[in-house]
Order: sequence, then C-alpha cells, then structure tokens
Amino acid sequence: MKILELRGVKKRYHANSALNGIDLSIEKGNSLTVLGPNGSGKTTLLKILSGIMSPTEGKVIYKNNQASENDRKKEIFFLGHKNSLYNSLTVLENVNFVCRLFSRNNGDASVENILREYGLWERRNDPVGELSQGMKRRLAIAKGFLIDPDVFIMDEPFSGLDIRWRSSTLSKIKDFKRQKKSLILSTHLVVEGYELADYIAFLHRGKFLFIKKKEEVDIEEINGLFDSPEETLK
Amino acid sequence: MKSGKIMSTLFFLLIILIPLDLFLIFKVAPTEKIMGDVQRIFYLHVPLAFSAYLGFAGVFFSSILFLWRKNMFWDTAAYTSAEVGVLFSTLVLITGSFWARPVWNVWWTWDPRLITMLILWFIFIGYFLLRKGISDQFKKARYSAVLGIVGVIDIPVVRLATKWWRSIHPRLSREGGSLDPLMVKIFLFSLLTFLSFTVFLVFFRFRVARVEERVTSLMKRLED
Amino acid sequence: MSFLANAFSITSKDIRLEFRGKESLSLMLFLSLLLLVIFNFALDIDRDNISLLAPGILWVIFAFSGILGMGRTSMAERDEEAYLSIVFSPASAESFYLGKVLSNLLFLIIMESFTIIFFAVLFDFERIIGSLLELVPSLILGTVGFSLIGTLFSFLSTTSKYGEVLLPFLYLPVVVPILLGGVSSMDIVLNETVGEGTGKWHQIMIAFDILYFSLSLLLFKYLIEE
Repeated sequence: MKILELRGVKKRYHANSALNGIDLSIEKGNSLTVLGPNGSGKTTLLKILSGIMSPTEGKVIYKNNQASENDRKKEIFFLGHKNSLYNSLTVLENVNFVCRLFSRNNGDASVENILREYGLWERRNDPVGELSQGMKRRLAIAKGFLIDPDVFIMDEPFSGLDIRWRSSTLSKIKDFKRQKKSLILSTHLVVEGYELADYIAFLHRGKFLFIKKKEEVDIEEINGLFDSPEETLK
Repeated sequence: MKSGKIMSTLFFLLIILIPLDLFLIFKVAPTEKIMGDVQRIFYLHVPLAFSAYLGFAGVFFSSILFLWRKNMFWDTAAYTSAEVGVLFSTLVLITGSFWARPVWNVWWTWDPRLITMLILWFIFIGYFLLRKGISDQFKKARYSAVLGIVGVIDIPVVRLATKWWRSIHPRLSREGGSLDPLMVKIFLFSLLTFLSFTVFLVFFRFRVARVEERVTSLMKRLED
Repeated sequence: MSFLANAFSITSKDIRLEFRGKESLSLMLFLSLLLLVIFNFALDIDRDNISLLAPGILWVIFAFSGILGMGRTSMAERDEEAYLSIVFSPASAESFYLGKVLSNLLFLIIMESFTIIFFAVLFDFERIIGSLLELVPSLILGTVGFSLIGTLFSFLSTTSKYGEVLLPFLYLPVVVPILLGGVSSMDIVLNETVGEGTGKWHQIMIAFDILYFSLSLLLFKYLIEE
C-alpha cells in the first residue's frame, strides 16, 4: 500500500523556489533517505510530507486519501530541525505531556526504559532548558520512539549527537524499521543515511537528481554528487 | 483579458463620470440653507465611506476565498482591496474633519460612525504591519486572511457598541424627507461615480500587483 | 470527549509551564501594579473622582497586562517550535485553541483579581470589593472575549518578525466592543447610574464572545500550519 505520495509538488517562498516539481511515492514499511547539500530543499520536502506545510502547487496524498486528517496527525511523527520541547518543563513533564495527548498510558516503566536508554533518566527532573544541545536532541528522538508512530519523518536526526549516541540512535532507528514501519529521513551523513535506506533520493535545487533503490546506488557516487552535482551526473 | 476589458470600459466611463460629478456637486447642487457651501462635502464624504466599505468587503470575501481555494490570486485580491479600503477610509476621516469643523465646531467627535471608521482604519494598518513582518508568501497570505476576516466581522459589533453613545451624526434616513430631491439625485450620482472608481482602482491595483509579482520572480530567475 | 481531554491537557501543561518558568503571570501582575502607580501620578485620584475613574483605569490595565501575558504564553509555544508537539499529536487544532484560551483565561482572571485588590488597597476603595458580585458577569464576559481574541492574535503576531510587539496593534482595535462593555458596565455598577442597566452591555459582550469563539474555531487551524 502506498503510504505517502507527492504529485508535482512545488514550493515557493517569495519568488525563490524551494521545491521544483517533486513526484514521490513511498510504500508502507519502506524507508527513504533524502540526501542533498544545504539549501537543496530537504527540510521543505519533509515538512510538506509531514503535512505541516502546504505546497504552492501539487498534491500530497496520505494512504490513498483513505485516512482522516486526525489519523494522519496521529500516525505521522515529525522530528524537525528544532526539538519541539518546552524549555521550562522538566524532561519527564515534556514526555508525559506528549503521552497524554496520544492517550498513551505507557506506564512509567516504558518511559523509564527509554529515558535510561538515552541517558536522560538521571536528569528527568531538570528543566529541558538546562540540558545540553545533544541531550535535547536525544530527548526529542526518545519522545518519537515512545510515541512509536507508523510513519517517522526525521529531519537531520543525528545533528548535535556525538559518535556514541549517533550509533545507538542508528541501531534504534533500525529496530524501528524492523517493525515494518515507514521511515523518511534527511541527513548529510551519507554512511548513516545509506545504512537506513531502502530508497535513496538526492535533492538538488529543489529537484530530485535521482531516486533509486539502495542497491542501485553506489556510495562513492553520492559523495561525488555532494562535491559537484552537475558534473557527476553527466 | 476579461478584466482588461472591464477596466478599459470603466476607465472611459470614469473620464466622463468624474468631471460630470464634480460639475454637479459644485455648480448644480443647491446650496444648503444652514450649513452653506460646506455641505457639498457630503457628496464626496458619504460616497467615500461607501467606497471604503466596498474595499473592506472585498478583503473579507477574498480572504474567505483564499482560505478555501488556497489560490494566491485571492491573496492579491485581498491586499489590493485592503489598500484601496485604507486609502478611502483615510479620505473619509479627512473630509469628515473638514465637515465637522464649521458645522459642529470641532475637528473630531466621538460619533459611532467616525469611531467605526477609525477602528477599521487601525485594524487594516495592523493588517499591513502583519504582512510586512512575514516573508513566506503563503504564510503571509494565510495569516492576513485570518486577520482580514476577523477584522471585518468586528465592524457591526463595534458599530453597535459605539451606538450607545449619543450620536450627533446627521442621519440621512430621518432628514431624507426634508432633503431636496435634486440633492438626493446628485448624491446618488456621486455614489455611483465613486463606487465605479473604487472598482476601477481595485482592478488597476490588482493588475499592477500581478505585474510586480511577475517582475520579482523574473528578477530572481535572472539572479539564479 | 477526547476533544475536551486534550484541551485540558494543554491547559494543565500551560499551568505547569507557568509554575516552572514564572514567565507570564508574574510579569502581568508586576505590570498591573506598576500601571496603578503610574495612573496615580497621572490622574490625581481622590475620594471624589475615584468611582468615576476606576472603570477606565482598571480595564486599561486589564487590556495591557493581558497583552503582555498572552504574548508571553504564545512565545513559549513558538520557542523551539514546541507547539509542533501538539500539532503532531491526535489533538485537533480546535482543542489546541480551546486549551490555550482556557489557560489564558485563567491567567487573566488571576491578574484581574489581584489588580482589583491592589486597586482597593492602594486607593482605599473597599467599595469595589463590596460590589464585586454585580461586577463579576461583565468581568467574566469581557475576560473571555480578551482571551478568545488574544489567543488567536498572539499566534498571528508571534510568527511575524516583529513578534509580540505587533500584538497590541492587532488586538486593541478588535477588542474595542469588549472595552466599551466592560468600562460601561463597571461605570453603571459603581456610580449607580439611574435608568441604566448593565443588561445591554452584557448582551453585546455575549454576542462578541459567541461570534469570535465560533470564528476562531474555524480559523485557528490556519495559524498552526507553516
């Protein structure tokens, strides 16, 4: 089943176009990694996929239009550039607030487990504003896994994470994938992006240079694309 | 091209209507016994108020259509109507002042109609401040549409609330009987002139805005 | 039912946020007190004119302290895009709006109560506490109106580059009917104006509240998209 589909999506800010005609379809249980240089439109693309931003032109179709607006909101989780945390609330209060909105009664055990896993349990009663950038990022990711959405959209999930947390987050995302859930992420870390992908798309100036199955893509080729996209493609 | 046709028709109509209207107001209309020549402002002031309201009605409906259709066309229509509305409401407030000075011996009076017009003027100055502060054009369009709808809906409530102060504004309905029939005819003619002028201005400003948008997008493309 | 539950979750989150951060309510109370002092210097308030001046002074303070507080609470949502955690949850835009309206309403009511007490104490005007029962309907209706418009407009203004500074320009013109209703009702009660009832002012405030509640429920969803 197609879970998300974009048809001829364009997005303009002022006169600048961020996306320039994107067609895309993602099957349930598949993962897509969007690679591309800064300013290529990755964030805009993910925001449109998540439903928070409407395209200037084109269509976004979720589950063949068979799900309600409310289902869409419930089933998609978007981890943005910013962490979407309340700085004055403590770690636990942030987590509990979201759990309550999802009417998840995960019980304290699962909250405790995931916070321990991300090294946040000791800081659970500290206001988020007092945590380091890396810790905030971990909390934002942990919140996503606690909610356990059907579609997880991640914008640069590894930003601000050091090597240790990067690898444990990577394995956590892999676990998530194994549950046959859909994953869309953008990153400029080619190795991690490659590892998590079923499909890889390369975005340049608001257009896909390609979107291919992972097996058909060579990791060296991608590295070349970052350096000089036009020439490598020729 | 349909709008072009309406515009050129209106333009030629207005070339005739405006001088004729001015001639009627200053040469043909009888001088009012008590107020004297200053009463002639009435032929400008009241139609200007109608024009301002027409502009704001344009904002209201364009804003609703924008939120419904999500088409930038309606955003352009909304803000161009708002500009024309602000222009005319400014003129209403100024001509009202000129009227009030000799007749009521004050420049300004806290009359419901005046307050309503002033509040409306404030709301739409806020409308343009809001637009100036948002750079994403789609977001700007959506946010200002919300403000446009909320602002216009406020008019009847403000009007009702302010009405409970004693009004000293001359009322057409009550004094209509005593109004010279010629005065009424000239007033209606003037109203027609101003309303067509408003429609023309909105159309004209709309086309300019579309050209502006086109030029900026072409400039951007050149830069890329 | 989950509609109300979600709204209450958001309200209780705001209360907790206020309890932790002390960012809006304390500032509102402080501004109220400060404005009372300023009005004292500006208006030369004494026993004879106090009941005439009270409605205007109090409602102006309610309006301005309210702007300050509601601007703050919506900045707290925009900060770090925290509000996205509500947007990407099963909570609807309408319950989001209702939740914010309720928390703003609560903060406004607390601020107004303290302002009235400050006023009674500073200007030795105990009579206002005595007539509180008669004042409550117009205070509630007016405050609901403030919160409805303030919640909607603080979300409007905080996306623009001017931020909260824009809020008074949008908010004050629109709440004019509420200000008129609030000031007039309080004036009628305090000065026992003969032949004037507060009824019609209550009606206009009820009309305002219903109108903007239903309108905002329709429009709020456009403000939380990007």
